[in-house]
Amino acid sequence: MKRRNFLKQSTLASSLVLVPSFVKAFETVAKESFGFKKLVIVQLSGGNDGLNTIVPFTNDLYYKNRPNLFIPKKDLIKATDHLGFHKSLAPLKNLYDQGYLTILNNVGYPNPNRSHFRSTDIWQTASDANEYLSSGWLGRYIDIYGKMPYSGIELDDSLSLILKGETMNGIATKNPKILFGNTQTPYFKKLLNKQSETHLSEHNLGYLYKTMIEASSSAKYIYETSTTFESTFTYPKNPFGEQLKTTAEFINSHLESKVYYVSMGGFDTHANQANKQSSLLQTYSESMEVFIKDLKQNDTFKDTLILTFSEFGRRVKQNAAGGTDHGAANNVFILGQNLKTKGFYNESPDLENLDANGDIVHSIDFRSIYATILDQWLRVNDTKILNKTFSKLDFI
Amino acid sequence: MKEKEIQHLYWRAGFGLGYNQLQHLKGRSKTNILGDLFSEAQNYTPIQLDLSEFGVVNRKDAVNVMSNMGATSLQQLRKKSQEKVKELNFAWVAKLGDSKAVFREKMTLFWANVFVCRDNNIVHLQQYNNTLRHHALGDFRTFVKAISRQASMSKYLNNKQNVKQSPNENFARELMELFTLGVGNYTENDIKEAARAFTGWSFLPNGDFYLRKNKHDFETKTFFGKTGNFDGDEIIDIILDQKQCATFICTKIYTYFVNPKIDKQRLDEITNLFYQDYNIETLMHYIFSSNWFYKETNIGVKIKSPMELIAGVYKIVPFSFNNKKQLLYLQKMMGQVLLYPNNVSGWKGDTYWIDSNTLMFRMKLASLLLNNAVINLEEKGEFEDSFERYYKREQNRNRYLKITQQWDTFNKEYAGVTPEDLQQVLILSKMDTDTENFIKNLSIGSNKDYCIQLMSLPEYQLC
Repeated sequence: MKRRNFLKQSTLASSLVLVPSFVKAFETVAKESFGFKKLVIVQLSGGNDGLNTIVPFTNDLYYKNRPNLFIPKKDLIKATDHLGFHKSLAPLKNLYDQGYLTILNNVGYPNPNRSHFRSTDIWQTASDANEYLSSGWLGRYIDIYGKMPYSGIELDDSLSLILKGETMNGIATKNPKILFGNTQTPYFKKLLNKQSETHLSEHNLGYLYKTMIEASSSAKYIYETSTTFESTFTYPKNPFGEQLKTTAEFINSHLESKVYYVSMGGFDTHANQANKQSSLLQTYSESMEVFIKDLKQNDTFKDTLILTFSEFGRRVKQNAAGGTDHGAANNVFILGQNLKTKGFYNESPDLENLDANGDIVHSIDFRSIYATILDQWLRVNDTKILNKTFSKLDFI
Repeated sequence: MKEKEIQHLYWRAGFGLGYNQLQHLKGRSKTNILGDLFSEAQNYTPIQLDLSEFGVVNRKDAVNVMSNMGATSLQQLRKKSQEKVKELNFAWVAKLGDSKAVFREKMTLFWANVFVCRDNNIVHLQQYNNTLRHHALGDFRTFVKAISRQASMSKYLNNKQNVKQSPNENFARELMELFTLGVGNYTENDIKEAARAFTGWSFLPNGDFYLRKNKHDFETKTFFGKTGNFDGDEIIDIILDQKQCATFICTKIYTYFVNPKIDKQRLDEITNLFYQDYNIETLMHYIFSSNWFYKETNIGVKIKSPMELIAGVYKIVPFSFNNKKQLLYLQKMMGQVLLYPNNVSGWKGDTYWIDSNTLMFRMKLASLLLNNAVINLEEKGEFEDSFERYYKREQNRNRYLKITQQWDTFNKEYAGVTPEDLQQVLILSKMDTDTENFIKNLSIGSNKDYCIQLMSLPEYQLC
C-alpha cells in the first residue's frame, strides 16, 4: 500500500483531529522515500561459539584445544577443503550452495570486552571499546533517514539500544495486535482524540505528546498494514521462528520499515555445550530457511539483506564443564540474493596467534561491515551514522 | 512556601508528597521546611540484609577456606549471592518509598548513577550501596576516596588487575572520564600515571580494603604537571584541585535536581560554591534555598525516572508486591533496574527514558499497579538464559501484578479532597490545553478512579 493511500484510508486521518504538522511529518516521509532495501539483523544473544559453528577441521590446534568438544569430521557438512558446517546447519549450507550466504571470519574490534552487556552495547552502538554512546547505529540511521518510529522495528516488547536514536527511536513489537491494542484502551483513545496542535512546541511535555502520537500512529500503521498479508509457510514452532514469521509478514506486506532487529537467546554455553548448541543452530537455520523461502516467494528476498552476529565468540580452549567461556572475534553471516562475494569472504581463524586470553584476534572490524551495508545496501552516508570512516568491504 | 514550591522541592529532593503532608507544610517558611528536610536526611540507616550464609568471608582464613570449598560449593554460593542481589534491589526500592531520610535516599540514587557499578557479590555490593548512602550528603573528596577503595568498584573497573608489573588503566580512565572530570579534560599520559598510583589497591573477601605492597608502584609519577610519589588518594586530591571537577559534578547536579536545560549563570554560581570545599550538603542547601530554583521554568519540566515514577505512585497509594520478581519486571520494561546498570556511563535520564514502548508502558503503569490491568508485554530474556528460558518468562507469571494496595490509607486521606485539589497534588507540570478540557469533561466516579486517570496522563510523567 502506498503511503498516500494509507493516509486516505487511515482512520487516524478521518476520525482523529489531525495536527497539520503531524500530517506534514507523514508527507515528508512519503516524499523523501529512501529506497526500498530492507535490513534484518539477528543477534545470537549470549555469544555463539563460532568455532563449532563453522569448523576448521584440518587444524590440529582445533582438536587440541577441544579434546571433548570437537565436532567429529563425520558430523560436519564440508564446505571447503578446510571448513565444514555444523551438522545442524544443513539448511544454512543449502543457502550457501545457492550462493545466498557470505561468511566473514574473525570479525571483532580492538580491545575486545568480554561482558555480554558491554560487548552488546559496543556492537549495537558501533562504538570503540572505551567509548560510551547512548544511541544505536540503527537508531542514528532512523534519526536521519527514518522520520517515524516504525522505520525500525525490534521483534520484542521493549526496545534495545540498537534502535534508539538521538532524536527518534524505533519501535518494538512481537505482536502488532497487542501493540495496537495497548494504544486503543478507551482512556488512551479518548486522550488522543482530543489532541490538536498547540502542545507540540513545548519542551518536554511536547516531546511526550509527540512520542505518544507517533507511537499510536506507528502501532496503527504496523498493525493495519501487516494484517494485509498472512504468511502461508509453516515456520518451526518456536519463538525465534515466530519472530522471523512476523518479520516476513512485515516485509511482505510492504510495510515501509527499513530495518529490523531480532534477538535469539540461549547461546551462553558455559556448560554442556554440545547438545545445546546443536539444537540452537538447528532452530536458527531451519527458521532462517523458511524465512528466506517466504521472502523469495513474495519477491522480497532480492531487496532484503540479513546480518547475523553475536556479541562475541567463545574461547578457543574448552572449559572443564563441557562448555566454552566468553571469547572475542567471531564469524558473521550475511544472507542475501545478490551477494558479490559468495561463500567465505576471508581467511579461516588463526588458532596459533591468539590474544592474551586465548581468544581469536579480529582481522575485520565489525564497523566495516556496517559501513559497507550503509553505503552499498541502504545507500546512505555511513560516516555520518558511524561518526567515523571505516574501510568498506566487498561482499554486496 | 506556596503549595507548588513545596511540591517542586519534594519532587526534586524526594519522590513527591501526598495531600496531608502538603497541607501540613503549606505556609511554613522555606528555612523551616528545609531545616526539617535536611535534619531528617541526617539519619543514615544502611540496608542490612541477612547475609549469614556468606559468613565465611569474615574469617581470617577466608581465602584458604574458600579455595578449598570446591567448584560446586562455590558455584552454589555465587548463585545464592546473585539471588540476594535481587533482594537488595527490592530493599532499596522499598527504602525509596518508606525512608524518613527521603532526601538522603534521593541523593543516594543520584550518586549511584555517577559512581556507576555492578557486582554479583552481595557482600561487596551491599557495602557499596551503603557507601553511596553514607557519603551522599558529605564531603565529596572523602566520598571519591571511599568509592575508589570499594571491592565492587575494584572488580567492576579492573583495578584488582592493576599491578605495578602490568598496570590496568580502566579504573584511572573512568575515574576521570565518568566520575570527576569528563572526557577530554585530561591527557592519555595522565591516565597512565594515575593508573600507576592505584596499582596494588585490593580487597579482602569481606570487602575490606588493603594495599598489596609488592604490587604497588611507589615510584615517582607526573600527573597534571605535578611530580611526586603519588598514591591514589593524592591523585584524587589533584583531580579535585581542577575546577573542571566541580563543574563536572555541578552539571550533573543541575540537570538532575534543577532543570535538564542548563542555565550557564546558575551553573557557574553553584560551581564556584562547590569548588570552595566540595561539601555536598552545603551545595544542595544553597540550591534549594535560592529563589531561582523555584522559578516556574524549573517546575514540572523534568521527565521522571522509572524509579521516581514508581516511588511517586507509592507516596499516594502505598502498595506491596506479593511477587517481588514482578517489581523487577516493571523496572526492566521501563529501562531502569537498580543495581543492574547497562554500563559504567549510567542512565542518561530525562528524554532518554522515553521511546514509544516505554512511554506506552509508563502511561499504563498506574493501571497495572492500582487497577489490575492485564500484563500483555514481556520483558527481555537474560544473556545467560537457555533458549527456553529466554523466551518463556511469562509462563511463570500471573498475567496481573500480584499487588496489595492500601486503598484504605488513600481513602482516608483523600475522602474530602476535591477533584481539583487531587489534580493539584498529582500534576506538577503545565497542563496541555486539550487534555485539560478532556479532564474537565470527564465524569469523575471516585477519587480512586480519578487518581488512576490522572496518573495515566503524559503530564504525570513530569516532575
